[in-house]
Amino acid sequence: MQTPLVIERAPRPFGPLRGVAADAARSLIAAARLAWAIEGNWAEPFYLAVYLIVRPLAFLGLFLAVLSIGGRLDPSSIGFVVVGQAIFQIVGAALQGPTHALLDDRERYRTIRYIFATPSSLLPVSIGRALVKAAISAISASIVITAGALLGMPLRATGIDLPLLICVLTLGLLSVVGLGVALGAICVQLRNDAWGYPQAVAGSVFLLCGAIFPLDVLPEPLRVIGTALPITWWIEGVRRALLSTVSPGALGALSTPSLLLVLAVGTLVIWVAAPRLFTAGIDRARDKGYLDRNTAS
Amino acid sequence: MSARTVAVVPPPADLLARIRAETEWSLAHRLRHATQSVVARAYPRVFGMLREPSWLFFDLVFPILGMSALIFLLRSRGADEAWISATILASALLTFWTSVIWMMAGQFRWERDSGNLTLYITAPVGLGSITLGMAIGGALGMAIRAAVVVLTGTLFFGATYGVHEPLLLALTILLGVAAMYALGACLAAFFLISGRQAEHLGDLLNEPMQLLGGLFAPIRSLGIIGIAAIGILPLAPAADALRQIAVPQLAASGLLPVPIELSILTAMLVIFSVGSHFALAYIERAGRAGGRLLTRAD
Repeated sequence: MQTPLVIERAPRPFGPLRGVAADAARSLIAAARLAWAIEGNWAEPFYLAVYLIVRPLAFLGLFLAVLSIGGRLDPSSIGFVVVGQAIFQIVGAALQGPTHALLDDRERYRTIRYIFATPSSLLPVSIGRALVKAAISAISASIVITAGALLGMPLRATGIDLPLLICVLTLGLLSVVGLGVALGAICVQLRNDAWGYPQAVAGSVFLLCGAIFPLDVLPEPLRVIGTALPITWWIEGVRRALLSTVSPGALGALSTPSLLLVLAVGTLVIWVAAPRLFTAGIDRARDKGYLDRNTAS
Repeated sequence: MSARTVAVVPPPADLLARIRAETEWSLAHRLRHATQSVVARAYPRVFGMLREPSWLFFDLVFPILGMSALIFLLRSRGADEAWISATILASALLTFWTSVIWMMAGQFRWERDSGNLTLYITAPVGLGSITLGMAIGGALGMAIRAAVVVLTGTLFFGATYGVHEPLLLALTILLGVAAMYALGACLAAFFLISGRQAEHLGDLLNEPMQLLGGLFAPIRSLGIIGIAAIGILPLAPAADALRQIAVPQLAASGLLPVPIELSILTAMLVIFSVGSHFALAYIERAGRAGGRLLTRAD
């Protein structure tokens, strides 16, 4: 009698990680490397650098031109807009990252079926792709903030509050990648214009989160929604870590520990819901055959 | 070895006449055919978009969100209400510019990647007729969206306008839009030979051109760069003239008198139209020879 062949997979640790966590970390890093190859090598490094510099500076210039309407531009008052607009570039990229990664893999590169054939999960793959997009946008954000500082944006006299900056950047990035992951799971169900929804969400969030104007200008219902968004407090946290000025209205009224608490709770809620939503969304898309279709959009 | 003679039988006269009739087109026939091609390409741009509500939604939601953000910024800074009216008009103009970037400049590249460009090349239609159809259809389709943007902005933010010369306003919009689409036709050729850079090129034509075009702020504030932009970028004279005509309180912020800006737009329309004709012909020829015309970018 022939003995059954049992193939046991040798445990492959990844640093201190073991088992599923090691697999996920490996997938995340592979996805991040792939994302860099897609996002970072479409042009010669010189042209890439020009693109990364010109576009965010033009965006900044656009807002500064608007701020200068009706008189001369006061450098002491531009910090609010400069930091908000800079950080929002990361928000936009991280919100769009997972959806664009899923849709690119489904329709453009047609590789999503191969990812399913591997032991990898789509979740770390999507997160890895989003993180690289966010990192590239972070370069643009740094350029914008540096330009703002050169223009006379008032920085903290005692230097950057590094612990606060690291804390809010980590929490904020986690929250926005979580939202992006949830959005990806929804968009993969759509037939038409799935590419456009993350951009529409990012545009709506831009309006609601007080990135370039104080929340108090918004009508009351919109202001309530804006206050509930972790992104609002992420941007405000970065302002407090960098600037010497106090944000006007409701944004400036909240104490920094309360701000961190709101941001942490918001991030936690997002990360309790987002992976479940992502798994449910991908399972549904797989059941319905949506992972193998081409919408030609 | 004896020479063999081959008898050549001439084709029947009626067949020759038919071939001649089908291949030697009169000027009237060519014009009729070109017009039919233009209408055929413009048709889906107007009616196809009306049949796809999600496209309409996205074409409206982006400019309205951006417009609202800028208006709230202006309100938070206590800017003159006239600038809110100007921002709404600029957002309407921006719908055309976005369409010029993605639905004109990027269109042939998109058609190539989706496989339609082979149909255009093999059909008995010139790329010029197709491009003109894209422009006319795109402009008509976007006019509806621009009207909705203006209406929404006006209703939500209580903007007011003072149009004393409606014909001049109509002429400004017509020339501005025509010059923008003519530039889009020129760029279509350029985008077609771009590889993966095309998408990023489109991005670079967005915010930087909004800044250079003085779309949301007086172009005068850009100094020498603004003067250069007004001679190159149709968005700049169009936005500046539109502000001067529709929001008289801001007439003093104009860089040049309206008649001069209209002359610049007319010159741009002619130059870009002629340029697009040669650019498309060159790209088609070079693309065929180099084998890059139908090659997918990715």
